[in-house]
Amino acid sequence: MKIRSVLVPILAVGALALFYGGPGYAADTSGHGSVYTREALSGGKKALLAERESEEGERGEGGGGGGGENERFSAVESPLYKKECSSCHFLYQAGFLPAHSWTMLLNTSDKHFGEDLALDDKTKTDLLAYLTANSAEKSDTEWSVKIMRSIGSSTPGRITKIPYIESKHRKIRRDVFKRPSIKSFSNCGACHTKGAGGNFEERTVVIPK
Amino acid sequence: MQKKGLMLGGLAALFIAGGALAAGPADLNAGMRSLMDRYLSEAQKKEPSLKAFSAEEGKKFFNAKRMHSTAKEERSCSTCHTSNPLNPGKTPVGKTIEPMAHSANKDRFTDPQKVEKWFKRNCAWVLERECTPEEKGDFITYMMSN
Repeated sequence: MKIRSVLVPILAVGALALFYGGPGYAADTSGHGSVYTREALSGGKKALLAERESEEGERGEGGGGGGGENERFSAVESPLYKKECSSCHFLYQAGFLPAHSWTMLLNTSDKHFGEDLALDDKTKTDLLAYLTANSAEKSDTEWSVKIMRSIGSSTPGRITKIPYIESKHRKIRRDVFKRPSIKSFSNCGACHTKGAGGNFEERTVVIPK
Repeated sequence: MQKKGLMLGGLAALFIAGGALAAGPADLNAGMRSLMDRYLSEAQKKEPSLKAFSAEEGKKFFNAKRMHSTAKEERSCSTCHTSNPLNPGKTPVGKTIEPMAHSANKDRFTDPQKVEKWFKRNCAWVLERECTPEEKGDFITYMMSN
């Protein structure tokens, strides 16, 4: 009886620790553990509850630090990059990919995920200059640092396939991304309400219905 | 000078004859007019009987669905732009696209370079080829007419 009353709380604490300290978060002490926020839950978005695996015992607000000097990306400051790339998709900050990925993407811009971007040589050169000057390995933003750590020696072409990015979104059912209001996992701005400005902190996430 | 005046006059007459336009391509700026002139003369090389572009043809073209050979899905201009050019659309990955109709978005069809770039990108996406000058002219005429 006595042993049992001691054991139960220990097991419970252990289970909780396992749950929240799970594989994807093992190296993540930044406080950006899960992609859901309390804000995302408020305002009648109770349906979100069903999509969450669990939120109890969530970290405290705030968080920060943990790998890089700067907590957030900066907004994209290249009018050319904005003009050429943001009509079709979210304007991913250069710090999402290493220089060798940007180079690969620009070199294959005639087959960009099935599309010919019709970029002339000068535009390509100028885009590449901007993107490689601000790429992940040159950024001290903690997300860039973690992205670089997670890709190893690979040359990712899809930001959505970067292990760190995937791990951050693993609690979201795939069909959530298919909603008309979101359409794809690559549409960062649909949920990251401050993403265009470079802020991907969990507390700024609102998942549309 | 005289030649240009004649040409513009001729074009205006053609457009009126085509019945395309209340506020129609008369709204096009000089750069866009010369692009349209080029489209028309190129189109006439292939089809000498062509007198003017047609908003009606442009509308058909805009909504025509086609099976893409590798993506294995039906695609049309309206896949992303919706069937009403006055409405905003969405790219395949979910970004909002401003309305295509000039009346709903005054920036549309004001920059010939931009227009050509997007024809190149999007004709390939829908048709897996470049658009013909006639298709482009009809398309722009339609977008200027609604």
